[in-house]
Amino acid sequence: MEAVLNVTFFQELLLSTIRMATPILIVALAELYSERAGQVNIGLDGIMAFGALVGFLTSYITGSPYLGILAGAVGGLLINMVYAFCTITLGAEQIVYGMAINIFAPALASFIYKIYFGISSTLAQATLMKVMPIPFLSKIPVLGPVLFNHTIIVYLTYLLVPFTYLFFTKTKPGLNYRAVGEYPKAAESLGINVVRQKYIASMICGALAGIGGAYLTTCYISTYSDGVVSGRGFIALSAVIFGRWMPGGVLLAALLFGFTDALQLRFQVMSSATPYQLLAMIPYLSTLFVLAFLGIKKAGPKANGKPYFREER
Amino acid sequence: MKEFLRMENMSKKFGEVYANREINLSIMEGEVHTLLGENGAGKSTLMNILTGLYQPTGGSIYLHGKKVKIDSPSKAVKLGIGMVHQHFMLVEALTVFENIILGITKDKSIFIKKDAIKNEILELADRYGLDIEIDKAITEISVGAQQRVEILKALYRGAELLILDEPTAALTDIEVEGLFKIIRKLTAENKSVIFISHKMREVLEISDRITILRTGQTIKTLTKDKTEEAELANLMIGKELVSSEYKKVMKTKENILSLEQVSFNKTSKHNGISEISLNVGKGEILGIAGVDGNGQSQLAQIVTGVIAPDSGNVILNTNKIAKFAPIDFINSNVSHIPEDRNKMGLIGNMSVRENLILKSLNKKRISAGKGLYLKRKAIALYAKEMKEKYDIRCASIDMELRNLSGGNQQKIVLARELEEEPKLLVAVHPTRGLDIGATKYVHDKMIDSRDKGCGILLISADFDEVLKLSDRIAVMFEGQVVGVYSGENPPINEISLAMSGKAK
Amino acid sequence: MKLKNTLIKILVPILSVICSFLVGAIMITFIGGNPADAYKFLFRGAFGSTANIGETIVKSVPLIFTGLAATFAYKCGVFNLGAEGQFTMGAVTSIWISTVVTGITGIPLLILSLTGGIIAGGIWGAIPGILKITRGLNEIIVSIMLNYVAVLFMGYLYSSPLREGSVPQTAAVAVKLGRIMNGTRVHAGIIIALIIAVGIYYFLFFTAGGFKLRAVGLNQTAARFNGYSVKKFILLSFIISGAIAGLGGSVELHGTQFRLMSGFGAGYGFDGVAIALIGQLNPIGTVLVAYLFAVLRAGATTMQVGSGMPTSVVDIIQALIIVFAVAGSAFTNLPKTRQFLSNMLSKQNRKEKEEWKQC
Repeated sequence: MEAVLNVTFFQELLLSTIRMATPILIVALAELYSERAGQVNIGLDGIMAFGALVGFLTSYITGSPYLGILAGAVGGLLINMVYAFCTITLGAEQIVYGMAINIFAPALASFIYKIYFGISSTLAQATLMKVMPIPFLSKIPVLGPVLFNHTIIVYLTYLLVPFTYLFFTKTKPGLNYRAVGEYPKAAESLGINVVRQKYIASMICGALAGIGGAYLTTCYISTYSDGVVSGRGFIALSAVIFGRWMPGGVLLAALLFGFTDALQLRFQVMSSATPYQLLAMIPYLSTLFVLAFLGIKKAGPKANGKPYFREER
Repeated sequence: MKEFLRMENMSKKFGEVYANREINLSIMEGEVHTLLGENGAGKSTLMNILTGLYQPTGGSIYLHGKKVKIDSPSKAVKLGIGMVHQHFMLVEALTVFENIILGITKDKSIFIKKDAIKNEILELADRYGLDIEIDKAITEISVGAQQRVEILKALYRGAELLILDEPTAALTDIEVEGLFKIIRKLTAENKSVIFISHKMREVLEISDRITILRTGQTIKTLTKDKTEEAELANLMIGKELVSSEYKKVMKTKENILSLEQVSFNKTSKHNGISEISLNVGKGEILGIAGVDGNGQSQLAQIVTGVIAPDSGNVILNTNKIAKFAPIDFINSNVSHIPEDRNKMGLIGNMSVRENLILKSLNKKRISAGKGLYLKRKAIALYAKEMKEKYDIRCASIDMELRNLSGGNQQKIVLARELEEEPKLLVAVHPTRGLDIGATKYVHDKMIDSRDKGCGILLISADFDEVLKLSDRIAVMFEGQVVGVYSGENPPINEISLAMSGKAK
Repeated sequence: MKLKNTLIKILVPILSVICSFLVGAIMITFIGGNPADAYKFLFRGAFGSTANIGETIVKSVPLIFTGLAATFAYKCGVFNLGAEGQFTMGAVTSIWISTVVTGITGIPLLILSLTGGIIAGGIWGAIPGILKITRGLNEIIVSIMLNYVAVLFMGYLYSSPLREGSVPQTAAVAVKLGRIMNGTRVHAGIIIALIIAVGIYYFLFFTAGGFKLRAVGLNQTAARFNGYSVKKFILLSFIISGAIAGLGGSVELHGTQFRLMSGFGAGYGFDGVAIALIGQLNPIGTVLVAYLFAVLRAGATTMQVGSGMPTSVVDIIQALIIVFAVAGSAFTNLPKTRQFLSNMLSKQNRKEKEEWKQC
């Protein structure tokens, strides 16, 4: 035991934390962009599944995981347009329709996979994205390899956090964006196009969640299988609540969930005697405990989840 | 004076119903033009058309004599039309500053040039005497200050015409004076103001011209100097104003409800009450007068068990209440006409029939076997009886409630709350949003109940209603009762002063 | 008025099913198959023989349970996405009772085991309810997290302490639900499922408790002002919803699977939500839609073997039904559509309409 609990252990744990937190972070940011315009989207898991498939397939065919990520974004965006149309234009209940996406998108992904690879095929493998060590910085002892030896997607995801913060607090489009989620009628009366803003929010959400899914199959594991997402979309959803709809808070939440995931994986490697199922519960249980003990006061956008119609009587 | 804006034959239909029908209106530069009309006369709809929120079904709009089409709110802003809505369009999560610049693209930069814009805004505020605290959050400032932010918001967008929808409804007298000063400064700079109100005194004080709307149509446009209160009232209501006086009764000896030093959320002036002591006698109406948001909601919710007071005693029919739960009050025969019928009283997606029996499910005539069997036939019969008795107009008792008009919805609340012959009725804004006919109906029913011995606590922001019905009048200001007056020949001036916090 | 609403509520799912089959046909053509052929095999698989008809019924049983669980919770305005976890915990408890209880056999053991499933499901369902009413937690997230925990826990049991033999699975249960149709695997579980469905229907629409539960689901504030205990009903709906799902897991174990192994109950929770939504949140509608889903599943393998179309075609059709049904319901609720429909459908009672227009 003592042999494993050394610097390498912590280094690997942190490295793993950052990698595991990445898909949760990017998808939680996707949800943040959606909810800031009042669109609660619980279909993240489904969008991720579709993004994972599209990303994998593109990467498998073209041999480029970068194109895979791009395709994941496009795929996620497109599938989320179904959600956007039904909730924004038709005014369908957002929770219900998010659920529909959770059922529809994985089914479609699985269908496409089976059509492409045939009914009984061996597991197809795609190339994984290579890490891109940042010169000099990655040479810093201990911290270097942990922080600066990742794929470009990881860097971009973490950069998205300050960007999002600046966008929502310091820019005009960001301010207008928030107004739509808080009080759409007021926003409309000031000449902000609420419907368009909600569509844009859904596009951003779809694209980011799609990237989050594609990350799993292009940067994390080299195969696609049904259930590859395994609830990460829902964990991302809780990260938004836990992070109180703020980019910084969401980052902390994602890191926390990434850490528990990394920890249980390390434990699995270390003690093969413990049944892995019990260890694999840790991320889910810790999500529950964190939410239950810290509690959540309603802090989200005021008009979150409510349909908006311009002329209403 | 030159004409700024003209609307010709404007019509707006919602489904089959005309909210506006061939309305004509012209606004001069630098004038204050009042739109006068009852609730539902079509004022708000017309203004929503003018600000681009609604699209008209027919008619045209001319600006400086040129025909324009206002197809979006941003178009209205571009044309110099700004509106201050009755319910403010302010985003509470943002600051005053952020609210003012929302949606503006004056300079090309994506980033907000905070200091430069701030100076610009403060200059503008200075010019029109608009006193604001620019960095505060909306939730931290008073209602009057929020209104000034709204006005500034419109001016900053270059409004030449400012629409003020019921701007004085939530203001104290002093704040109203301040608002009028601002309006006069605006017209002095040749800006036009459309003032929407139904308070005659204010209308005659501030307006240059007055247009009266009734049931969605223009009745007449008058110049202020050539009219008087009685004429306006008659035109607005459409018939001679009959001051239907109900007989007032003397306070009876027995109390149905007593409050002793009751407090809730004491530190809040607008959402709490502070050491209130009141009595409601059997068979009398105690009216609570006061501007909305001085603790009336909390008072109503305490005496119906929805919230529990922090301190003090509530005595209902000689029993001191220990546990506050709506069900206990209902079982002690307390009825409640809540302030927001759609949110608190009724269930929109349930049928008329189901809404009528919400409170009587466990009664013998409704169900058997401790609620394990609902007597469908008996319920239908009962619902039909109520429909007749309370004149509820609906195609069928199975219609979903949300498809009924406000007046008919309120009649369902009345049927449910009055049919059980309550000992105490708590009625909050019982006629808000109702037309004249429905209002009279509600008032008659309340007087009937009183005469049968029911004690009534009437809470209303409509001062006339309180004067008309109350046997005694209590005034609430910032969570306190600042005076109790007789309902017979009430000292109106004294009460008005008390309502604005200037009680002796 | 009421008839019209009911008509729309029935039409929407039917049209969704038709549309989904049409889109499914297009997809089949697109990947080089013959839709008529594929659908022929699909329905042959579901109805082709007594055994097949029976198999379809067997497949419908767990779906009815999770569908009813979702319906019940939603009627009180809460989302129970945790039916899979509750289903699993119900089955886990039954297996555990089967292993540890000695001394009783036969019907008493069966009743004990099913009761255990009900209780376990109820407890698992109560957790999101308690966290919602005491801590204000979002029930969706909590119930989903509990699904993963339950499934992993089951995995732990069949691969370690309750493992039997070399394959990771548990021993078979000691008692089984009786077969009720000759030549098929149809077991008494279908009867239990139908009784529960009728019971829920009765409860929701014929009792004061059901009335109040629906009122809480539609408008919590009004329910509170009218003297209902909102929190009590929310918790109750979670517990009962969980108990229904737990019983479902137990029934599935005793009637069809007999032992726990990888994949037991997988996906039934979300399927239940889909079924409830398509069934317009009506218990009877839920049963019908669950049966439809079972038809699709029972026929899928035959279709794959007969026409070479992968079974995932069926998953797509199922998913499309929910997409269309939810969109359709929203569409018919738009003010403009309502206006249009009421104009179209109410020519006969124009007079009535005139009357309520005035009010």
